[in-house]
Amino acid sequence: MDHAGELKVTYRGDPAKLFPLALGTGVLGVITLGIYRFWAKARIRRHVWSKVQVGEDGFEFTGTGLEMFLGFLMAVVALAVYLAVVQLILFAVGIRFVFDPQNEMEEIAQGISIALSFLAVLPLMLFAAYRSRRYKLARTRFRGIRLAMENAAGGYMLRGLLYLLLTVATLGLLWPLMTFRLEAYMTERTWYGSARFRQGGRWQGLYSAYFHVLVGIGMLVLSAVFGAVAEEWMAGLLGVMGMIWGMVGLVIYRVRAFAYLMAHKEMDGGLGFRAEPRAGSVVWLYIKGVFIVGLLGGIASAVIFAPLGTLMVGIEDASELMMMEIAVVGVLSYLLVLTVFGALTLVFINQPILGHFVGSVTVTGAQALEAVRQRVSDRGADAEGLADALDMGGAF
Amino acid sequence: MLPAAEEAVYFDGVSARRQEVMVEPSPDGRALRFGREVWAVDRLRRIEGEGLVLALLTGEGDELPHDPARLVLDEGPLAAWVRGAAPALERRDLRRGTWGKIAGRVALAGGALALILFVFLPRISDMLADQMPLEQEVAFGDAVVGQVKSWLGGDGVAVCSAPAGLAALEKMERRLTEGQGLTYDIELSVMDHEMLNAFAAPGGRIVILRGLLDEAETAEEVAGVLAHEIGHVEARDPVRLAFRSAGSAGILALVLGDVTGGTVIGLLGDHLMSASYTREAEAAADAFAFDLLVRTGIGTEGLAEFFERIEGMGGDLPEILSTHPASGNRAEAARSAGGDAAEPVLTTAEWQALRGICGKG
Repeated sequence: MDHAGELKVTYRGDPAKLFPLALGTGVLGVITLGIYRFWAKARIRRHVWSKVQVGEDGFEFTGTGLEMFLGFLMAVVALAVYLAVVQLILFAVGIRFVFDPQNEMEEIAQGISIALSFLAVLPLMLFAAYRSRRYKLARTRFRGIRLAMENAAGGYMLRGLLYLLLTVATLGLLWPLMTFRLEAYMTERTWYGSARFRQGGRWQGLYSAYFHVLVGIGMLVLSAVFGAVAEEWMAGLLGVMGMIWGMVGLVIYRVRAFAYLMAHKEMDGGLGFRAEPRAGSVVWLYIKGVFIVGLLGGIASAVIFAPLGTLMVGIEDASELMMMEIAVVGVLSYLLVLTVFGALTLVFINQPILGHFVGSVTVTGAQALEAVRQRVSDRGADAEGLADALDMGGAF
Repeated sequence: MLPAAEEAVYFDGVSARRQEVMVEPSPDGRALRFGREVWAVDRLRRIEGEGLVLALLTGEGDELPHDPARLVLDEGPLAAWVRGAAPALERRDLRRGTWGKIAGRVALAGGALALILFVFLPRISDMLADQMPLEQEVAFGDAVVGQVKSWLGGDGVAVCSAPAGLAALEKMERRLTEGQGLTYDIELSVMDHEMLNAFAAPGGRIVILRGLLDEAETAEEVAGVLAHEIGHVEARDPVRLAFRSAGSAGILALVLGDVTGGTVIGLLGDHLMSASYTREAEAAADAFAFDLLVRTGIGTEGLAEFFERIEGMGGDLPEILSTHPASGNRAEAARSAGGDAAEPVLTTAEWQALRGICGKG
């Protein structure tokens, strides 16, 4: 096999470096009532991006906390208007059903009104997903050259809604169609300097990755059938099995879909990718991570809460001022524990899994890089304020 | 003294080509020289990366005031020299006018949020509250009272139910409501909590906390407070407030990035207790109370005395006092509303029974 023009992609993250950064920025976030979270995100991204290397060269994240903060300020105003109106109307309509469903009809109405309040945010979430990726790419550089994504979040939102509808209407059968088309939509609008990316492959190509999810769905459908003919124990058994099978299937799907989509991406000049992530490794990394986070987080909680415990002794006859102090210490301890868990999760769950995906990729036809020229900077990328406001930025 | 020339990797910011260059410090030690480039040491900025990644400060730049070109040095004598010689390697430069931009955006966002919170949201919530059917409001009120109950004590406080006390409470309720043509079917209850407070929930639910009964010296004082709360109920203030806090809590959670989640529900109960009805709403409830007290022959003296006594106490103010800094005036206002007591609300025995409704003392 010819390995000329191939570059191995590696992730060189080090828990001992990321953890102090994540914890320190997290504590600053608590102290500043959440304002610092934008700077925290920027610092963590700068760190993580620089650890992703193609061959010998690292990526660079040039986004700043300040621009994310400013983007957030803009987004929050738009979102506040939208949400305040939508939520209040839903609150007014749904209030009776939510608090006191009288009969079956109203229970259904309760479900619908809760679902509606989610649906109201859905278009925004799709919009924000595209803008967030666009921002990240616009602030990413490799070998000094900017990446970019075209300004097309509206089209993404409409397609996302359409494919989502199709997926739901077919009980999940057309999920791969959604995955493929949405990823292709983004990839075809992605640029590295002067070079454009293309998404090859076919959406039907994702079905081998989707197999186990289909099995899970099949079991759930069977379970519903058995439920209808009153074979209740059979329905219950199939239901549980279908859920578990489907969940594991989803992990396998995400891993294999990543590999398929990655392997069929191509950049102008013939640069391509190979990706061999393994679902088993991802699951193992996750289980291992949960164990480590649980263990270290448990120890940290004990250390943090122990002083509080000694304060609580004799709280009965403490003065009002003392009680206040204890309450404040309690809230701070709680937030601190949350921060520790957040940092541990980032370092021991998110980072290893990211590392596995990144490390599974090989760049082929790297000589195409020689021809790539710089592009002008994209000032329109809105610093993903919307994505942050909707709390959907993901781990990194 | 100056380190020797070293091999390094250079990306010129124009093409993605990797260029191997020899980098050396200039003889005066104030610049790095490689190829045709001369990078002044005081304009060098470090970029996060493996080895020592350098960028050059420019007046232009994009999101950062840096030239897109990058120079990557291995960790070695030259990199160590640069770290020592470059004065502002770690500085994060701000473009001129940045602070003005920040101030502008913060003001804009703050203004828009204030507009939403204090103008837009109140209007909409009032509109929606006015259109809410009564039976929905009652269901909602029950949920809110339940919420407050669990908020007051970890696993919920007891609703007091000593029979003699309940009878006294009922007598007081009848005296205040019978034949007054109220829209709401008032439902009184006492919760066993030491806080000095009473509050109105949607749907005509009025809750008295034991602390109020402990503090009040006569039944007329309690009746006065109740009359005030009935005023809120009849004006639908609690529903408006609930709608308002549901909306604003959502926005608050949005702005704070909701560290813990579930701010919304928690705030709702809290809001009703420490309540922030508007001054107008409080004044209207007072006026309603004075009127009701006069009409029912209870008289306003009890309420006036209550205002005077509570005013001297520090600590958390109950809702009834919260938005009125000067209770003294209210006591006067109550007295001048007139209306001497025609007949006591409760007998001495009944008053004692009411105070013992929680089965203590």
